[in-house]
Amino acid sequence: MPAAITIQHIKKTYRGNPNPAIDGLSLSVAQGLIFGLLGPNGAGKTTLINILCGLRAFDAGEVYIHGYSLPGQLREIKQLIGFVPQEIALYPMLTAYENLKVFGGIFGLRGAALDRSVNELLVKFGLEQSKRRYLKHFSGGMKRRINLIAGMLHRPKILFLDEPTAGVDVQSKNLILENLREINRQGTTIIYTSHYMEEAEMLCSRVAFIDEGKLVCEGNPAEMIRHSPGCASLEMLYLQLTGKKLRD
Amino acid sequence: MNKFRFLLYKDFLLLVRDKAGLAMMFLMPVLLVIIMTYLQDSTYHAVHESHIPLLLLNHDTDSLGATIEKQIGQPGIFDVHKTINGTPVTEEALIKAVAQGDYKVGVVVPEHATMHIRKNVKRYVTGAFNGASLSSVADSVQVAIYFDPVIKSSFRTTLMSTLREYAVRTESDFLFNEIISEVNRLSPVTVADIQLARNQVKFKEQYASMDHPGKMPNSAQHNVPAWSMFAIFFITISLSGNIIKERDDGSYTRLRVTPCPYSFYLFSKIAVYFGVCLLQFVALMLLGIFIFPWLGLPALDFGISFFALALMCTSSALAAIGYGVLIGNVAVTHQQAAIFASISVVIMAAIGGVWIPVFVMPHVMQLLSCISPLNWGLEGFYAIFVREGNWASVLPECTASLLFFGLCIGAAIWYNKRKRIDL
Repeated sequence: MPAAITIQHIKKTYRGNPNPAIDGLSLSVAQGLIFGLLGPNGAGKTTLINILCGLRAFDAGEVYIHGYSLPGQLREIKQLIGFVPQEIALYPMLTAYENLKVFGGIFGLRGAALDRSVNELLVKFGLEQSKRRYLKHFSGGMKRRINLIAGMLHRPKILFLDEPTAGVDVQSKNLILENLREINRQGTTIIYTSHYMEEAEMLCSRVAFIDEGKLVCEGNPAEMIRHSPGCASLEMLYLQLTGKKLRD
Repeated sequence: MNKFRFLLYKDFLLLVRDKAGLAMMFLMPVLLVIIMTYLQDSTYHAVHESHIPLLLLNHDTDSLGATIEKQIGQPGIFDVHKTINGTPVTEEALIKAVAQGDYKVGVVVPEHATMHIRKNVKRYVTGAFNGASLSSVADSVQVAIYFDPVIKSSFRTTLMSTLREYAVRTESDFLFNEIISEVNRLSPVTVADIQLARNQVKFKEQYASMDHPGKMPNSAQHNVPAWSMFAIFFITISLSGNIIKERDDGSYTRLRVTPCPYSFYLFSKIAVYFGVCLLQFVALMLLGIFIFPWLGLPALDFGISFFALALMCTSSALAAIGYGVLIGNVAVTHQQAAIFASISVVIMAAIGGVWIPVFVMPHVMQLLSCISPLNWGLEGFYAIFVREGNWASVLPECTASLLFFGLCIGAAIWYNKRKRIDL
């Protein structure tokens, strides 16, 4: 499989903080995977996603997305990617439909194609009945779902998800994960960060553990567990590799 | 361009759904213009029509007391009272009533005032006719005037000059009568009692205008542009808040991941708020032209050059929008932006001459007023409304406002790139 993302020795240090957020990390993600970026708080997961989405600069190294390099070909890269941030990055004073129409439109969808894409996804995520309601009246789970739809309306080749199931109930989580699997089957590569190891184990075809800005381990979750004596789950492996020390 | 259309749609929806923001942007300026024009109009007419409650204690039963009573009792300035709740007034009661604010002015005419003044005048006139030297300060009559402490010094000065004018008239009447009586005593030919013709010197009040001499600017001409500028600049609160809110809730981050240039994002906001400013201005113009006469206020006359007006309105609106965009980009929180925007606009309005004309300010403030965009706007609108200028006469103010807009937008983009985008 050709690479969806190639990262070579990238470094990123924030102003005013001597410790690098990303420290010479290299990684390759093949097209069509659901790839989990896992690590404790402050490990550098969000920084890495922000770099890949063109939201942050990096100090050294090289990044290629579908062959386009960052930051030089950011415009081309933006046509290929979708991003679902941790927070509900939508307008509470617009209805669900209006929010999706705006973001779909900005991604280049027009007329009937835009309407079709919006309505299809609203049905899939169980929000069709609520599409005319203002977002501010949505429950936490509904907001998470609409947040996800806004990132995948334009059928991106790569979808970046930063903790897409944080704080949602089991039903919403189940629906979100089901739909993620479905769009992955349709060809979208998914890069996903989470603190839920069980969820990552179920969903991801490959995972990478990141700690202190470095790649600790990368592979297929089942194989990684099998090759780690004494680890019955991804969570146990994660703790073994990253330690039990609190990361505040 | 289609992406821009969707951004415009989003910004338009966000604006119209913010009811409180809309009220602040449209209702408040309307109220402000009406109230301030009313106030200035009433101040303009204050000395002639304000019916200030005045308590009079007239101990003089002769002509001075009667003349003062007659003059201040003329319909217009004062509402004269001689009793308090039907009880005859004493000097102590008068002072107390004025001090409590029940009456704004108290006048005490002393006993035998006429006799003293007549004696003085007679002494001057007789002395003058006999070639004697005159003593000018002997036995002057002191009419005591008490003011409510809340009365401002400017208003007190106006009242005092009115009362002094009455006193001078009374004194000159006495003087004239004494001269006639002295002439009659000395002359074998009797001089008839002449009614002194007043206002021999007349003042014709008019504003200098090349095109329409005799045309008088009114309070609407002064207030509508001044408070419109103030209102237009108050959109900075809503605009900066809108930018910060988008940044805080993460939607700006999502927009940055879309294939949409930052300039589209910025110009969509500029376009929507430019529309707001134009609507504000049109609403205030219509208010001045059509509603003011209904409210008993003078109607607004918007000059002779519609093009100059459009030019001035556009440049002022853009200056305000640029300032709002800059605050929205630099401020960290919504509260910070709201407080800074409102206070800075009030300061720019104050030094720009919205409240007090620039020419009466101290020299330092006059220099400072040159850097206030509200002053550029105000001077431009005065040039159109009051001086009946054309587009060429507002060109310096328009250029300054547009440069200010460019500077603000440039600084906002630079700051945003440097501090937030980190690319």
